[in-house]
Amino acid sequence: MKQSVKGLVKILFTLVLSLAIGAVFILAIGESPLVAYGALLKGAFGTKLGLGTTLAGFTPLMVTAIAFAVAAQAGAFNVGVEGEVILGGITAAYIGVNWGFLPAPLLYLACFLGAMLVAAAWALIPAVLKAYYQVSEVCVTILMNTVALYIASYLVSGPMSAGTANPQSDPVLVTLPAIMKPSSANAGIFIAIIAVIVVIFMLYKTRWGYKIRTVGTNPEHAQYVGINAKKTFIYAMLLSGMLGGLAGCIEVLGVHGYYLDGFAKDLGTNGMLAALIVKSNMITTPFMAFFLAVLKSGAMAMQQSTGVPKAIVDTISAVFIIVATMEFVIQIKGRHNKKQKAAVITGHPMPEQEKPETSKKEE
Amino acid sequence: MDLFGNLGKIFNASLIYATFRASTPIIFAALCAAITQQANILNIGTEGIMLVGAFTAVAVSYTTGSWILGVLAAMMGGACIAMIMAVGHIKYNSEICAIGMGINLFAIAITKFLMNVIFHTNGTFSDPGIIAIPRVHIPFLDNIPVLDTLLNNWCFTEWFVIIFIIVLQYIFYKTVWGLRLRAVGQFPMAAQAAGINVNAMKYQAMLISGLIGGLAGAHLSLGYSTQFVENMTNSRGFMGVAAMYFGGANPVLTAVGCLLFGFADSVGARLQAYGFPAQFVLLMPYLVTVLVLAVSMAIKLNAAKKRESSLIVHGTR
Repeated sequence: MKQSVKGLVKILFTLVLSLAIGAVFILAIGESPLVAYGALLKGAFGTKLGLGTTLAGFTPLMVTAIAFAVAAQAGAFNVGVEGEVILGGITAAYIGVNWGFLPAPLLYLACFLGAMLVAAAWALIPAVLKAYYQVSEVCVTILMNTVALYIASYLVSGPMSAGTANPQSDPVLVTLPAIMKPSSANAGIFIAIIAVIVVIFMLYKTRWGYKIRTVGTNPEHAQYVGINAKKTFIYAMLLSGMLGGLAGCIEVLGVHGYYLDGFAKDLGTNGMLAALIVKSNMITTPFMAFFLAVLKSGAMAMQQSTGVPKAIVDTISAVFIIVATMEFVIQIKGRHNKKQKAAVITGHPMPEQEKPETSKKEE
Repeated sequence: MDLFGNLGKIFNASLIYATFRASTPIIFAALCAAITQQANILNIGTEGIMLVGAFTAVAVSYTTGSWILGVLAAMMGGACIAMIMAVGHIKYNSEICAIGMGINLFAIAITKFLMNVIFHTNGTFSDPGIIAIPRVHIPFLDNIPVLDTLLNNWCFTEWFVIIFIIVLQYIFYKTVWGLRLRAVGQFPMAAQAAGINVNAMKYQAMLISGLIGGLAGAHLSLGYSTQFVENMTNSRGFMGVAAMYFGGANPVLTAVGCLLFGFADSVGARLQAYGFPAQFVLLMPYLVTVLVLAVSMAIKLNAAKKRESSLIVHGTR
């Protein structure tokens, strides 16, 4: 319990620090940070449209953040969620447009299953390469994101094009109902929440989830107690891929109603951001995703009413992540205790042995 | 599609320079990643360092009218960004992938923000006031047909990268500093026991890496093109990291890897004229990078296994 309080204090400290750094940038261009942040909050929550936009942005972000976090539980750094979202989206659009012979409920199911299947297959490639050939999954997934983007872009401007000026597909036959008109918030948010709860349950309450967490914490130990570390790693990546596909499907069926080229821009990246800030803690990741969604949806309003460019929001979230990865607060406390102990034993502090200790405390 | 009739137009002497030209930014990036890899730090932030370098180079070249100042400022900018990463990773124990991705996102956001604030534009900033890195014109080559297309009018930094690869190769494998760097990377405890200051070596590697990364960015925005575009590095930093894996952080082998990616890029650009969809052309370098990386790592792993099995191995996994 004490650990989680410490973690919360650290996140709040990081949050304040990154907002302060953001304020310095805003001051530097001659605007008032308070007015800017006020406009941001007002934009995100002030109107029904604003709140709806926040929720609509939150939906895919929560899923992609959890997708990243699940892979991270098994020790993977899956930057490829964005590619999975794109391919999930294009698959959902293909099935949604062309499989009209199915009755509506089955068509929903086919869209979601198809999207998850294709996205999982896409995630399988870096997973196998990493597990069996030790190819850096960071590199492969990032490059594969671009490949996925161009594949979908080709399909939607060629074979699947609706013939409009913008590259986009025909409208899908089934859509998720909107819940807060005129914003694009839709019933997908409930699907997303259920999916996140199911995944958290799987990770913490099933044997399968235990295996994933063991492999992530200590693969050698996992191997020793009879868990197939490679297979488990691949399963975690598959689950991560399925979640990415789910996010893509929700976006296509819920927000747009068709596949729009470039719809997934930064969805995966922002999800990764949310998960990284809280070190892929499954419980706090959705909350961090919500915070980022607020920042994103309020940014436009801030830009329009105060003249502070909305890129400041990305800067703040990037600073947030950089500061959050460092072990400031805990390091300071840890060092204090260590110094006393070390002083007793050897007469001087030992910096080399300090690091692993503090990282264990963090978890 | 008379592709086969036109093979001569695709594969000709100018393709060699086109390949090299497309590879140079990736080579710089790969060297940026290689030097930290020698100290066992995976420099995922290469992309961000490069992007900051590219922006600084354009901004300084535009305001001062001097490409030399632009390049120097870019190297300083790259070094600053790299030092943030170094302090986070070495002093505050950040996970390198996490802070590296943070740096990349920070670079995209801050360059976009500064472009809005300083140049009041979105997306692309190009202006005749940006002074590019000069091209090296060799007059006596003008009249020699093949050599003229091959060697004349290279960008200054393109000549420099060749020298630089050799210099780095020498530093890594023939100097005391290089030996210490590799010792730190391969067995930090032994290095420390031998009296090497491990953290100082890591800081030095990151600092130099930042300087190279900044130079990579400067070459991209002042040599390869003369403009700054949002996120103009376009995963070149990651291609560099992939090439570094391919070459095992050996500068010469790494550069060979980069040439492969550059080749895919420039052949693709020529295929576009023969009816290939633009998207396939654009995705080719990325696809080739992934394939080359996967195949080379698989081969390396097999070789390592063979070596291992020829020794007597105690215990079983």
